[in-house]
Amino acid sequence: MGDRKTNWPLTVFLLIVSAPILIMYLWLFIDSISEINVESIWPKEFTLRNWRFLVQDIPGHGSVWTATRNTTIFAASVVTIVVALSSTAGYALSRLKFPYRAQFLGFVLLLHSFPSVTLIISLFLMLRMVGLYDTLIGVILVKAALELPFGIWIMKGFYDTVPWEIEMAGLQDGASRFQVWHKLVLPQIMPGIAALAIFSFMAGWSEFVLPLILAPSSEARLLSVYLAGLMIDDYLSDFGLFKAVGLFYVVPVMIFYLFTQDKLMNIYGGGTKG
Amino acid sequence: MRGRRSLLPVWFMLPASVAVTVFFVIPVFMTFVFSFTSMSSDTGILGNRYIVTEATIRELTERGVDADLVKRLGSRVFAFDQAGLAAVGKSGLKPPVVKEIEEKLAGAVFGSEKELFAALKSLKNRPRSFRDRKAVSKAVVNTIVNREFRTATGFRAGLASINVEVDDATFDRLLGLVNTSWSWTTKNYVELLASDFTLKILANTMFYVFFTLIFNVGFALVLALATFYMPSGQSKFFRAVWLIPRISPSVIYVMLWKWFTFDSGFMSYFLGTFGVAPENWLNEYPWTFVIFANGFVGASMGMIIFASAVLAIPRDVLHAAEVDGAYPWQQVRRVILPMMAWPILFVTSYQTLSLLTSFEYILLLTDGGPGFFTTETWALNAYHTALSNYYGNLRYGFGATLAVVLVVVGIALSLLYLRLFDFKALVAEPPIES
Repeated sequence: MGDRKTNWPLTVFLLIVSAPILIMYLWLFIDSISEINVESIWPKEFTLRNWRFLVQDIPGHGSVWTATRNTTIFAASVVTIVVALSSTAGYALSRLKFPYRAQFLGFVLLLHSFPSVTLIISLFLMLRMVGLYDTLIGVILVKAALELPFGIWIMKGFYDTVPWEIEMAGLQDGASRFQVWHKLVLPQIMPGIAALAIFSFMAGWSEFVLPLILAPSSEARLLSVYLAGLMIDDYLSDFGLFKAVGLFYVVPVMIFYLFTQDKLMNIYGGGTKG
Repeated sequence: MRGRRSLLPVWFMLPASVAVTVFFVIPVFMTFVFSFTSMSSDTGILGNRYIVTEATIRELTERGVDADLVKRLGSRVFAFDQAGLAAVGKSGLKPPVVKEIEEKLAGAVFGSEKELFAALKSLKNRPRSFRDRKAVSKAVVNTIVNREFRTATGFRAGLASINVEVDDATFDRLLGLVNTSWSWTTKNYVELLASDFTLKILANTMFYVFFTLIFNVGFALVLALATFYMPSGQSKFFRAVWLIPRISPSVIYVMLWKWFTFDSGFMSYFLGTFGVAPENWLNEYPWTFVIFANGFVGASMGMIIFASAVLAIPRDVLHAAEVDGAYPWQQVRRVILPMMAWPILFVTSYQTLSLLTSFEYILLLTDGGPGFFTTETWALNAYHTALSNYYGNLRYGFGATLAVVLVVVGIALSLLYLRLFDFKALVAEPPIES
């Protein structure tokens, strides 16, 4: 049918319904660098005052750099664990024959669709019991484990697309299964690993509920909890500040999104958020 | 390829299996376990705690414990034993005072503070000020009131320190009465069934899920179809825009909604140009914006799935319809929608489950308010009950009971979906090694 012509009523309609999103994110940027005008949403003048949180702590909220460091460690650790464990387990489930394989797969699929947020109370109590409560390591382990069923399922899908002939040929030449996986199959699914890594990074970077409940103190605090803390502070009601912090926090995600949009589209299609 | 069994599957599966078991499967099981306990922030979560407080002492009398024993339980004994003398040494008193106490009072035991002070006054280097005498008293006092004991032996030692000797039967009875730890109970379930709040949060949850679903799935369809009938540049743009809420961290996305609906935000400004007074719209119409905020995020998932489903419809079919003179909306109604029944069912069921159980956006947006239980849904209420509320007592056990309902619904619906969306094809046996 070829490319379609612009259907103006349709385009205008979509512009109107999309307006809230466009306006919100446009003003995220505008308000972060302007003196807010109470009378109007148009900015009064340019200012960098909203960005003061970068050089001085907001009273009672700790350092933004501690939170940034924690968030980076958190997201990077989640990526490492999820990619490492999913790429091995995904391969086993896709290619290796072992007892109860189908049951394993069914189980992974069940957990994948199971809403993990319902477990938060029992995770909280369990971490308290073993002494991992309010530590970064505890919340990293929980987040990574909850992302695993999804990661394993995605990786299995990527392995499924690798032609069997490659592995057959490797085995004929005398390579072991491990060598075949390591030398022949892994290079084939690098795009898949990259997609999973990006997705897990963004999931880790954005996570809010788990760190809020499992690691609330200021030493282990993540950026999401830091920003939420600012917003419920009765002494601050400063959208200029919130937006500057928000922009600071969202920039890595937006950069990833701009460069990897096509890859992520596929994953988000089966996504995990409501 | 046959022959000796490789251990590779074990090594490849083990780490992931352990992680998923410890942090995913066991928590599912433990949710049920916790729901049968009376755990709360008052009882603590770690086994036995024996505490005698002023309140327990009153209660013990009412329970018919021997009045003399109860009195002695609340008593204080001032003993200059080794531990007591060591504490005196560290209490910051002048060295000559400490020295004389060590010489003259070692081994002495007093039954009341009055006797202790009298003894102190008889010393040559006596502690002069009341504060100093109090310091001595604090250093050598033995009491079990408000002290926490973790074990029965510890409690018995505590009793011995205030010179209370009891026979085993009395001791066991006492132990049971002062134990403040949690216990096994089914009361949580009884309370869940009897509480008025249960109906309220159930109704809220149904309302929330139903209307958000309609918004979600409806908008996803509109977006997928509208972008299908657009030049590819434009459709790419709109799909990218609608994905932004989904990839944004929830905290930022909700902050933007709060600004948008704030009395100095965009809505008030925009409506102000038509003469409408500024308002905090989120407070006025909480449900509307809870549904919008969730809907704008959720629509993108359906949009992507529906868009690829539309693309998968054979071109000839659409072409044939066009040749037969069908208008686009006739194409949509007669050709496209019937072929999309399956993806629509999938998106609807998937989102039903995630909406039922998620509470992140409501927590950030309204926290269940404004006012009492206005937008409190089931999952949010479980969180409030167990992990965060204004009453101070966090009821872990009852919160877990609320979560059990969600877990059961989650498992049931997941299983149903697996049935529905053909699972066998996804787990076919691999051809090597067979």
